[in-house]
Amino acid sequence: MKFNDLLLGLLVLLGGIAIYVSALGFTAIPGQAYGAGTMPRAIAVFASLLGLFMIGKALVAGLRVPRLELAPWVGSRRSVLSVLIALALIVFYIVAAPAIGFVPASLVVMAVLMLTLKTRPLTAIAVSVLACVVIQQAFGRLLLVPLPRSEFLAFLW
Amino acid sequence: MPILAEAFALVFQPYVLLVILSSAAFGMFVGAIPGLTATMATALLVPVTFFMDPVPAIAAIVTATAMAIFAGDIPGTLLRMPGTPASAAYVEDAYKMTRSGRSEEALGASLVFSAIGGIFGTIVLVTAAPVLAEVALKFSSFEYFWLVVLGLSCAIFVSPGSVPRGMISLIIGLFAATIGIDNPAGQPRYTFGSVELLAGVQFIPAMIGLFAVSEVLRFVAAGAEMPAVEKGGRTGVFSRQWTNMKRYPVQALRGAVTGTAIGALPGAGADIAAWISYAISKKFSRQPEKFGTGHVEGLVEAGASNNGAVSGAWIPALVFGIPGDSITAIVIGVLYIKGLNPGPTIFINQPQLIYAVFIVFFLANIIMLPMGWVAIKAARTILSIPARVLMPIILMFCIVGSFAINNSPFGIILMLVFGVIGFLMEENDIPIAPAILGLVLGPMLEQNFVTSMIKADGSFLAFFERPIAAGLGLFTIAIWCIPLVMTALRRRRGQSGGKPLDDASDRIGG
Repeated sequence: MKFNDLLLGLLVLLGGIAIYVSALGFTAIPGQAYGAGTMPRAIAVFASLLGLFMIGKALVAGLRVPRLELAPWVGSRRSVLSVLIALALIVFYIVAAPAIGFVPASLVVMAVLMLTLKTRPLTAIAVSVLACVVIQQAFGRLLLVPLPRSEFLAFLW
Repeated sequence: MPILAEAFALVFQPYVLLVILSSAAFGMFVGAIPGLTATMATALLVPVTFFMDPVPAIAAIVTATAMAIFAGDIPGTLLRMPGTPASAAYVEDAYKMTRSGRSEEALGASLVFSAIGGIFGTIVLVTAAPVLAEVALKFSSFEYFWLVVLGLSCAIFVSPGSVPRGMISLIIGLFAATIGIDNPAGQPRYTFGSVELLAGVQFIPAMIGLFAVSEVLRFVAAGAEMPAVEKGGRTGVFSRQWTNMKRYPVQALRGAVTGTAIGALPGAGADIAAWISYAISKKFSRQPEKFGTGHVEGLVEAGASNNGAVSGAWIPALVFGIPGDSITAIVIGVLYIKGLNPGPTIFINQPQLIYAVFIVFFLANIIMLPMGWVAIKAARTILSIPARVLMPIILMFCIVGSFAINNSPFGIILMLVFGVIGFLMEENDIPIAPAILGLVLGPMLEQNFVTSMIKADGSFLAFFERPIAAGLGLFTIAIWCIPLVMTALRRRRGQSGGKPLDDASDRIGG
């Protein structure tokens, strides 16, 4: 997903305006002219000027239509699917780990992603099991990170 | 002297030495894998250092980065795929040496001159930092304001890609830094009712997302595998280096000096140092035509330069609390977490700690030699691990690392959001380093800006009233003007009948 310069400039300008408007509601330090809104406003002015500059430059260069160009990988259904699966796996971990525990959840994340990337099933499962136990032991046991537990795997902790 | 003895006692403990050894191996491994940068090595290491005392934590980061920057040369030399951007400058020469059966000589040169550059940078760090700290004690909010702006400006102007794109990256980082309740008026900003966002965007999950998760996503999207390793022959790692040292002493020294100086500039790091040194080396070489054909000279100079920059970058980080590159940006985050506030007072309050850091730097650059030898010999095995197996494991490390910072799933959500942002940024050729510096320096910029504005009663002239502030301010403004002057010069040259302007002027001038 590649924005052309005109679209990128427009987005930066709109972002700047949005930050400025939102910063109007921030209060100042009591008795002073400056406060919580100063920095966001400065960023907003910087962004708006940059947006205008980019739009101007794009217009001079002959661009007229804001456009979203698709990167080559978007043409391949496999690649798009793989990226979506990778993102979905992270979401899956966030949702599932507290319920089913770290070991099963991380096993699913690694094994499914390896299979998506066309690793042989046996290798994928063997490496995932190994990696997942090593990470659990290193972080869960050695460094005492409270990774979500699974009751039936309590012996690992 | 007792301070130095105390520092030695802090470092020479079995635990700390073990940490140094393991992080050296870790840095070697990450640096040697194409696509995984030294910054990523640091990012993945931070969650682990979280559980250590300050000295081993810093030792781990110092050793891993020094090692990763060298190890980046390994895939560059054997596969023509630089392991870290800092190795990209001389990859052509290194790879051509491999094709003519001199891979071990090329890697040996990178290794030896990396160590030399690193040690030189450390000597400068040891001598310059305490002196600068004395000066920095007298700094007020005006000076700090300009230093931060200078750092951010350098980060934009030296980042690869166009200047406006670097600015977009900076805006993203600065905006992310405004989120939360930690601001001059103590009012929640952009938290949307989330209790977790009140504390602001946690730096480590954001950084893991921007650097590591985006890289995993990019690999998944491209689905590329690494090419087969070239056979490089066995010429011996160290056997030719004495000859190289005798033949190119000026180049090695110049590389180390340039690298350290560029590293010490806030905002510019090892990547840019290597490019500049390679260019300098070619310009002053007696055989410039040999560059790019498997010539070791550029390797010597740029190899010394990028490791010099790694040490040099710590000067502004320790003295002013302003990171010299994205790695020290992470380090500053770690120092704050450890309750050590980087800045001149650390030299007064905890000098033994600073000396311990210096000792660690020397150790890291010395053990680089034997560790590097092992890595060069083991390179073929490391590079034969398929990325399709490695990337999912790295993703898992990212998830656990982001979780471990606050033991809350919110870190993983942040990591995911910033991973997608980082992925989109790279798709649009927007560099990531300015965003990281913006995120780290945002609060410092805001604090010094607002304080200065209140002190000056809104007058911008006050920013130039103190001599050092004026000097820093004028220097910063001069840096802003460089691209404009360059564009003007190119135009004039174009009009005076020289070569027609090509798109390169657009790229540089932004």
